[in-house]
Amino acid sequence: MFKIMVGQGSCGISAGAGKVYEALQNAIAEKHVDARVSVTGCIGMCFLEPIVDIYEDEKLTRLVCVQPQDAAAIGEFLQTGDERAVARLKIADEDSAFLEKQTRIALRNCGLIDPESLEDAVAHKGYAALREAVTNRTPEQVIEEIKISGLAGRGGAGFPTWFKWNAARQSEGSPKYLICNADEGDPGAFMDRAVIEGDPHALIEGMLIGAYAIGAQEAIVYVRAEYPLAIKRLEKAIADAKAAGYIGAHIFGTDFSCDFRIKAGAGAFVCGEETALIESLEGQRGMPRLKPPFPAQSGYWRKPSNINNVETFANVAWILQNGGAAFAAMGTEDSKGTKVFALTGKIKRGGLVEIPMGKTLRDVVFDVGGGMRGEKNFKGVQLGGPSGGCVPAALIDTVIDYKKLSATGAIMGSGGMVIMDESTCMVQMAKFFLEFTTKESCGKCVACRIGTKRLSEILTRICGGEGREGDIELLEELCARIKENALCGLGQTAPNPVLTTIRYFRDEYEAHIREKRCPAGECAALVKYAIDPDKCRGCSLCSRKCPVGAISGEARMPFVIDDTACIRCGQCAEVCRFGAVQKG
Amino acid sequence: MEQKSDLSRLELVLAQYRDIPGSLITVLQKAQAVYGYLPEDVLEYIAQSLNIPAARVYGVATFYTQFRFQPVGKYFIELCKGTACHVNGADTIARTIREDLGIGDGETTEDGLFSLKYVACLGCCSLSPVMMINGETYGSLTSAKVRDILSQKRKEAGADV
Amino acid sequence: MILLNGKEVAFVPGQTILELAQAHGIDVPTLCHDERIEPYGACGLCVCEVKMGQASAKLMRACATKIADGMVIETHSERASRSRRFVLDMLLSDHTGDCVAPCSLACPGGTDCQKYAALIARGEYHKAAKTMKDVIPIPASIGRICPHPCEKKCRRALVEEPVSLAALKAFGADMDLQDMPFVPDCAPNTGKRVAVIGGGPGGLTAAYHLRRKGHEVHIYDKMPKLGGMLRYGIPEYRLPKAVLDKEIALIADIGVQMHTNTMLGKDVTLDELRKEYDAVVAATGAWVSSRMRVAGEDLAGVFGGIDFLRETALGDPPAIGKTVAVCGGGNTAMDACRTAVRLGAETVYVIYRRTRDEMPAEQIEIEEAIEEGVQFKFLTNPDEICGDGKVQSIRLQCMELGEPDASGRRKPVPIEGKFETLAVDSVIMAIGQKTDFTGLEALETTGRGTVLADAATFKTNLDGVFAVGDVSNKGADIAIAAVGEARKAADVIDAYLNGIEIAYEKPFVCEKEVTAADLADRAKQGRAVMPVLTPEERRHTFREMALGFDEETARREASRCLECGCLDYAQCRLIRFAREYKADPAPYAGEKNTRKKDDSHAVILRDGNKCILCGLCVRACDQLEKLSAIGLAGRGFTTEVGAAFRVPLGLSNCNGCGKCVDVCPTGALYQKSEGKKNVAVDRG
Repeated sequence: MFKIMVGQGSCGISAGAGKVYEALQNAIAEKHVDARVSVTGCIGMCFLEPIVDIYEDEKLTRLVCVQPQDAAAIGEFLQTGDERAVARLKIADEDSAFLEKQTRIALRNCGLIDPESLEDAVAHKGYAALREAVTNRTPEQVIEEIKISGLAGRGGAGFPTWFKWNAARQSEGSPKYLICNADEGDPGAFMDRAVIEGDPHALIEGMLIGAYAIGAQEAIVYVRAEYPLAIKRLEKAIADAKAAGYIGAHIFGTDFSCDFRIKAGAGAFVCGEETALIESLEGQRGMPRLKPPFPAQSGYWRKPSNINNVETFANVAWILQNGGAAFAAMGTEDSKGTKVFALTGKIKRGGLVEIPMGKTLRDVVFDVGGGMRGEKNFKGVQLGGPSGGCVPAALIDTVIDYKKLSATGAIMGSGGMVIMDESTCMVQMAKFFLEFTTKESCGKCVACRIGTKRLSEILTRICGGEGREGDIELLEELCARIKENALCGLGQTAPNPVLTTIRYFRDEYEAHIREKRCPAGECAALVKYAIDPDKCRGCSLCSRKCPVGAISGEARMPFVIDDTACIRCGQCAEVCRFGAVQKG
Repeated sequence: MEQKSDLSRLELVLAQYRDIPGSLITVLQKAQAVYGYLPEDVLEYIAQSLNIPAARVYGVATFYTQFRFQPVGKYFIELCKGTACHVNGADTIARTIREDLGIGDGETTEDGLFSLKYVACLGCCSLSPVMMINGETYGSLTSAKVRDILSQKRKEAGADV
Repeated sequence: MILLNGKEVAFVPGQTILELAQAHGIDVPTLCHDERIEPYGACGLCVCEVKMGQASAKLMRACATKIADGMVIETHSERASRSRRFVLDMLLSDHTGDCVAPCSLACPGGTDCQKYAALIARGEYHKAAKTMKDVIPIPASIGRICPHPCEKKCRRALVEEPVSLAALKAFGADMDLQDMPFVPDCAPNTGKRVAVIGGGPGGLTAAYHLRRKGHEVHIYDKMPKLGGMLRYGIPEYRLPKAVLDKEIALIADIGVQMHTNTMLGKDVTLDELRKEYDAVVAATGAWVSSRMRVAGEDLAGVFGGIDFLRETALGDPPAIGKTVAVCGGGNTAMDACRTAVRLGAETVYVIYRRTRDEMPAEQIEIEEAIEEGVQFKFLTNPDEICGDGKVQSIRLQCMELGEPDASGRRKPVPIEGKFETLAVDSVIMAIGQKTDFTGLEALETTGRGTVLADAATFKTNLDGVFAVGDVSNKGADIAIAAVGEARKAADVIDAYLNGIEIAYEKPFVCEKEVTAADLADRAKQGRAVMPVLTPEERRHTFREMALGFDEETARREASRCLECGCLDYAQCRLIRFAREYKADPAPYAGEKNTRKKDDSHAVILRDGNKCILCGLCVRACDQLEKLSAIGLAGRGFTTEVGAAFRVPLGLSNCNGCGKCVDVCPTGALYQKSEGKKNVAVDRG
């Protein structure tokens, strides 16, 4: 009996896992093999999707980049046991290292279990920690265990989880609410989606333990609407857990009762800010409230509320099972446990990486991620998305730890890690994030509403070759004032991408402003295209593709680009088969 | 008001959520699922039914990017503008779509076939650049690949007619 | 206990920093807070530096931060001020509007033309006169003679023609003079004494404003009557002296003491005045005709332009004969040639070295002169005045236009050998005026022979002596320029008398660009035509040629005003704080939101371009009126306030209660009086 798991997270499905799944079922039926095909979540090796794991008892054969037409070969392998049939699909050893070098706690079951199966979750110790907590421990003891673990908020700020739980527990007022922030807004992060899609019960269990600890009667998950699959799987998981009695009245026969529901967000990055999230939960515009009062005192419906992020909750059951000390044994003086990163960009092996705190950025980028994809040199890594910053190559040995990362000007953030090489323009990068925050600013406070707009305008003009002497200083002044005056975290951190790129890549800004030159060759307005006459064969393809007719020449003779007519779209370079179009 | 929407199609949704405070966004989401967008008369009706001032309903609806106030085309393209896609060339893809279809963010082609919307992140960063058409994801895009996909869709639509 | 700006103070539990500061008389600025409405925290202007225990000081919003024991609060630290300035810079960078109408900005006196026009449109003439007299003590006179730079900037010209602001000024002031004219209140006597030398527009204005501030003011003038050039330079047919007399009498009524026939340097000296008074204002004007430096200038029958006008005004016109040549192209030349016509000259020439297009005189003056039979000899320049003891002819050098000169006008160049000779009985030189320095010898002068005065403080080299108007700096200018300087100087002198040193500073205002396209939706309604005597009548009389508007015409003309200036300028908190914190949005100039003005509602006027999204109106509608007729729509930079579905306010369920208008910190909301022209609110 084979057990076949097809990775079907959003990324796997995007890569065609759904069709592979169907093809496999057909192949198995055709060959009458004793095998069961099921779905699993994202294992985190997104660069190898679609992934098919074939278990024969404990023996695992992992096939990668599988296409529907490979189903026949797989069927043959299942029938004959001859590995040669699928040899070309087997994961390479160096790729396997991607997983082997990780320590998985939050992602412990992702890619291993069927997220739509409660039995599977329970078989992997699901709800055992909840049972133990509500039947054998007081809420205070639970909070104490979390305190020992040193678990801190994984959404970005790194605030001690036990402290928030304790504050909500101590707070007067009833009912109390426990809320999970699954509004993963960082445009380059997908840890939370992977957890919900891959192991929804881990989240539910963590939340129920939290609800027990603070005394909440209702738990709510606020999920991005852009994650339909996560919502679907979470809905099913909630329904299954309800049916099994893990959710609802008298959980495990105790006095602890807790309802559970999902609320879908509607597209607003600012709702990652806890008070904005609460406003949104109440059906209002997601505009942050003044703090204090903090949600622990007055949150959802002005009642004591506690908000943590998905990854934080996903660690909770593990901590109770293995003890806070085991969790605290990993990491550094002030950052304990592991952290999940979404590794993307110009990286060879992109995907989800969970490693203990205390490792270095180099460990993630080069050891796990395999370094650069392509030939260009590593330039830096963007951490923490729009609230974070760019850490340059020179600081690659920075230790992963809340304080050490903050010292670079970036932040741990929710775990987005975008790798950049020499072809990435850092001014463009700052512009990209500021355009994002400008678009996502709720518009309530002046500093953010107009400040981010002005920042992106200045960055736009620098990228467009219209930068002026003094623009860098103007950006710095704006950034400093916005950080001080903005009402909520979104605005207060929005300048970080600008400040860090100026701090580490000031020369790039200066090249744009003074020499009207983009060293990375990314800023269209500052780039020139020219045809190398030695390489051009005169095929005329570029000339035909040019949307403005800026390229001319005679067949089989070198062609020429009229720089005054060129709109720098780069299509000529894209279509040239001889590498004759030079960008400079 | 120009449109005349069939408001009875909302009854089930309203019955379910009318008495649950804070359900406005959920109701708007369900209404959009019913009508494909949020026509004015529907918003007006929701305001009345939930006893929320229309100005506030409108304020909430216009705050969130998910909500639309115009019908979308047969093919709804969501182009990811997340960080990974940005680093890997989402701007080139946007330009290709503009060249091919003549539409930008939030616009619909004159024939009503395609609508384009830029979205923050589809969470498929490893396949960047990525776009989604009617819920189906297309990854590792290049300009050529995008043109192929679009002409494929155009053919499909032609075949439907 | 807590420390508030270094002082230990007690507090009431639950009190916010803002409330505590207010209780101690400290003004912490805020734009989004109203005590009746829940704190919101949008503007961030109220941030104060707060230190608690060992933690480093943080900027916190005073409106929302509750006092906690042990807080150390600095409401006006450098850091707080810097943050406030930033907020104001940001707000102004997305604030589109005209604090002050372009007409007003163009007026050297800063007269609030929009407001007096609106009051005239409403038939409220005394109020209109009061508005004028905030600047000009003699509006009926100025309104008649002013070349009205205001009208040149009037945006109504983008629709069809500018509003007839000067004539309206004369109309409104005349109506006021008819019965119970406006008389300003004067501050209690200060015991300080000021001497004003010269009773022309500058001197009268300085005296009037200084008197209003409670000082004892004496005007000394060499002529038999006050009015200066208005009386002795402007002909009767343009400004009847009866009007001027009435206005001067009103100035005397508030206690300004007038000493006529008193010549400086002869009857009284500057030294004596300095000893006797706490301050002296030199406003003696420019009473010397410039000479042309051509042969024959000393012949009998050659007159200076202003000398000729003065003697005519004194009732003793010089003998000019039947044929007169007036040299010059400015307004004095026009006054001279037209006066010559009225004195019976049969042929009057105007000799001007360029063409009509380059003439500095007002076009209407030129037209009217032509109507009255004046002959213009363009492109000619006096070369020699010929005669035997007495003028017999004038020889003119013919000119052509060459390259543009520094003024942008094409430079006239002589056509070699081409001359023309006119037989004339007299020549009037109206080519400019200079200062008569008699009695002012102790004052430092400029290169152009005027008194050197600081442009911002009007101070001369002598302590306590100030100079305004034609006598100073750039010399002869239009009357309203002297009025404007005198008004500004009055503030400086008032401060000086109180021992404070201030300088006039052009206040920061927001301005916007408007094009004809922006006004394309305005219905065209042509400018009212001023009825005048026929040319035939005019040739024989010094009677005022303009007959004035009738009431209906004036009110209709006044209602043509487009109301460019902000109706809430006087009470706008944004501009107040912008000045207080020296905001400067220029470095951050970028995209601005543009929204259509919403005039659809019967009693509320909304201009979203001035909205700063403080949210007060929305919250007032929610929390105070419990109506929620308006809300926020959209998000981020393009967020806007409005009724549901962005329908015009007039089509919404707004009940016009006006609570939103009350709380609006800027001019984005204004309460209209139904069916009447809008008038800017007064200073609160």
